[in-house]
Amino acid sequence: MSSEPTNLLQGTLDLLILKSLVAGEMHGLAISRRIHQITGETFDVKPGSLFPALHRMEEEGWISSLWGDSENNRRAKYYRLTKAGQKQLHVETTRWGRISGAISQALQAS
Amino acid sequence: MPGLAKLRSFFRNLFSVRRVEKDLDDEVQSHLAMLVEENLRAGMSPEEAQRAARLELGGVEQVKEQVRIERAGTWLQSVFSDCRYAARQFRKNPAFTAVVVFTLALGIGATTAMFSVVYGVLLRPLPYPRPDRIVSVFELTTKGKPSHVADPNFDDFRDQSRSFLSIAKYVSDTASISGTSQPARATVARVSPQFLSVFAVHPIVGRDFIADDAKKGAEQTALVSDDFWKQYLNSPQDLSQIHLKMNGAPFAVIGVLPPGFHFPADADLWLAADTDGENTSRTSHNYSAVARLRDGVTLEQANLDISAIARRIHDAAVDQNDYLLKDGMVVPLQSSLTGSARPALLVLLGAVAFLLLVACANVANLLLAQASVRVRELAIRTSLGAARGRLVRQFLTEAFLLSLLGGSLGVLGACLGVKGLLALAPANLPRLESISINLPVLVFAFLLATAVAVGLGVFVAVRATSGDPREGLAEGGRGQAGSQGSQRVGRAIVAAQMAITLVLVVGAGLFGRSLLKVLEVNPGFRVEKVVAMDVSLPWIDDPKQRASQGIFFSQLIDRLKQQPWIKNVGAVSTLPMDGGLPDGMFALLNEREVPKTLDGFEAVFQQKERLGIADFCVASEGYFQILGIPLIRGRIFDSRDTAESQHVAVISESLARERWPGEDPIGHTIEFGNMDGDIRLLTIVGIVGDVHQDTLDSPAPPIVYVDLFQRPRPAITVAMRSDADTRLVATSARDILRDLNPEIPARFRTFSQIYAASLGSRKFNVILIAFFASTALLLATAGVFGVMAYSVSRRTPEIGIRTALGAGASDVLRMILGQGLRTVLIGVAAGIAGALVLTRTVESFLFGVAPTDPFTFAAVTLLLIFAALLACYIPARRAARVDPLIALRHE
Repeated sequence: MSSEPTNLLQGTLDLLILKSLVAGEMHGLAISRRIHQITGETFDVKPGSLFPALHRMEEEGWISSLWGDSENNRRAKYYRLTKAGQKQLHVETTRWGRISGAISQALQAS
Repeated sequence: MPGLAKLRSFFRNLFSVRRVEKDLDDEVQSHLAMLVEENLRAGMSPEEAQRAARLELGGVEQVKEQVRIERAGTWLQSVFSDCRYAARQFRKNPAFTAVVVFTLALGIGATTAMFSVVYGVLLRPLPYPRPDRIVSVFELTTKGKPSHVADPNFDDFRDQSRSFLSIAKYVSDTASISGTSQPARATVARVSPQFLSVFAVHPIVGRDFIADDAKKGAEQTALVSDDFWKQYLNSPQDLSQIHLKMNGAPFAVIGVLPPGFHFPADADLWLAADTDGENTSRTSHNYSAVARLRDGVTLEQANLDISAIARRIHDAAVDQNDYLLKDGMVVPLQSSLTGSARPALLVLLGAVAFLLLVACANVANLLLAQASVRVRELAIRTSLGAARGRLVRQFLTEAFLLSLLGGSLGVLGACLGVKGLLALAPANLPRLESISINLPVLVFAFLLATAVAVGLGVFVAVRATSGDPREGLAEGGRGQAGSQGSQRVGRAIVAAQMAITLVLVVGAGLFGRSLLKVLEVNPGFRVEKVVAMDVSLPWIDDPKQRASQGIFFSQLIDRLKQQPWIKNVGAVSTLPMDGGLPDGMFALLNEREVPKTLDGFEAVFQQKERLGIADFCVASEGYFQILGIPLIRGRIFDSRDTAESQHVAVISESLARERWPGEDPIGHTIEFGNMDGDIRLLTIVGIVGDVHQDTLDSPAPPIVYVDLFQRPRPAITVAMRSDADTRLVATSARDILRDLNPEIPARFRTFSQIYAASLGSRKFNVILIAFFASTALLLATAGVFGVMAYSVSRRTPEIGIRTALGAGASDVLRMILGQGLRTVLIGVAAGIAGALVLTRTVESFLFGVAPTDPFTFAAVTLLLIFAALLACYIPARRAARVDPLIALRHE
């Protein structure tokens, strides 16, 4: 729990979840840890934000879930990317590229 | 399918609550367990591991709640909880709920019932394929009025127009049908062969007309309605076995039309009109015409088409006179059928809308009062974090539930109401059979309830949630200051209610006074104790052959006269108020001037100074005696007048006055042969009193009466004066008729029935408007009472202080009454202004009263003020009796 800029931009969390699920299906804790890892330990997603996002995204049809056994033989709910989710990932990635580009450009302007 | 996934979770969230919740709980618990395991692996003690895991999770229940908020369908669940909350409110105040629901039921029910009539008559599509393509075709007279079409003009319309898929003409009449299980009087339409194709209707048994059916000399063929086929013919599949006679002439039944097809109104038989042997005159308007528009042709195009043909006919015609068409017109069939009923129905719909407004105003006041009691509750909810939107939604939900309840109850009431309306409805209201509570009417009722709910809900919510919650809490739900504003609104509503009610009651007053004025009109005849028997004999073309009809009627009348219970018997072509007489042009002509040729007659009818216009009535001597039509001068028909003697006429007083001013018409001779084809001159022998032949509210027309035995006609109404029971008269008269000729059916009515039916639409309008107005008055009075009583109960402490400071009971009484009266007077003033504008729109329905009739306005104003004062008086007296000690102890 090093740095904690908790106020993720709207939609950024979705993007990060989708991105981490590209690696394969995983449960909530694994997703949280994966985001921590792939963002260079910048983001730490709390369950209070993670689960609502997961459930919302499942209702949108971007991810699907199933119950399975964890590495320690514990029952856990696993999430996986759907076709619509892959499409959404592409959309969000493009959008994010546009936003971050625009912001950097704005910050570089003198 | 992302959309589908969402829909699936929406339903799962709603209906499998337990499973979804269990799943969520499992997931969060497993997450927690994994966190603990992770911490244990990192070397923490079990207690520490638990603690750190819980810290990171941030509370199982909180996480679950966060997820729930994100779920699809959350809003619906909150709607459910709003509804549950509303239901609890209703149960807490059953009296309030009952009054609101009943008031709304009254308003919505009455409006729905009225709308079902408007929908059935004016809006519901006619029951034929693509009914919007069917049009009526009219000639336009020199005065621009639509009229029937003359045969050659119809032929030109048919042959020259390019707008129609098919066009047909029709005329209907009653005829005697024999050869059936019992002789029947049926409405028979003579139609051209294309008639059915206009309606796109096909026989269910047998065949349609073909062009040959209309040829001269062809066997007479007819189609019958499904009802007639079942009732009189016992529904045989083989139509060739049916042998029927119409007015004595045999005809073949070639087809049966589908159930429900009865166009023109009430028709049971359709005869192929003899289009070969038709009238060549362009001014004998014998037929109505209908047509089906060709695809892609608009009404405007069809109108231009017909108008061009009509004007060509007009310009080319030789016999130019006032009866020749000037132009032509095409109108959608539906509006031509119902156009006459439209204005009255729209006025009634407007009236019931006013009633609905008054009902809504009452409900709005009740809801406002209720909301002000809930100030504290609202304040608490606001301080606990409820957004204003959420509170507004709560009010909307409550209003919606109330109007839905009221609306459902109202629709039930409307089902009964429609039955009542149908029973009351005048017989001449078109399309009565299509009035019912059907799907479109239900949709209307639902939309109406929704509109009422939104209107009331938004209004009350905005009023109730606009205050500062701190005030609400501080006031403790008791205070006076905060409710001043809502009381002002309440009084404004009451004033508006009074204004609307005044307009309605003035309308009812004007309609009612018009009816009274109509009833005051002296009809020119007596109505009581007359039984009418309609009889029609076979049609005979040649006037010279018609003597047999005269003989038959003379025998019939003589036989009836011999009955001891019949005081007198007369006969007439058409009784007053029973559909009117034909009118035409007659010419003053004496024996020496009678032309020898047809051209000569035409020349006579070009000489304006010789001409006159009158109704043509065939009657017997007894007719005048039975109806009490007074002889003014000369004589009426008697035994001197026989078929061979000089033909005589009796004329009405107004005709004598207008056509022979300052002269004695008796002894003059007139030529009126164009009415019955008999060109023998008529000598005027007497003048009788005027009779309101058509309606009481139109002037008595000029009438020429001719003697039934000199100018017989096949269809007459026999009028019998008798003190005996109507059924007895009918039975024995029918026996006598059967004895003379068993193939002739008769129809019996009393003259009183005919007379009452002629006032039917006026009474219908009066009854409905009076009902709407009195209900509105009742509601408005209740509204005044409610607002005043509420105001008094709110002001009890203040009144207590006033009394303690020395105000007497009469001062308090005056103060409260004054306050109420001010509100009422504002409303009444606004109402009078509104009524002055609005009553002008109903001027055409009034008779003998001006739309600004001062008597009606004054009486209604006084009535309203009196009712309102009465409603104020009860609370005012309660206020005057306030005991200052008790009132102040309240504090």
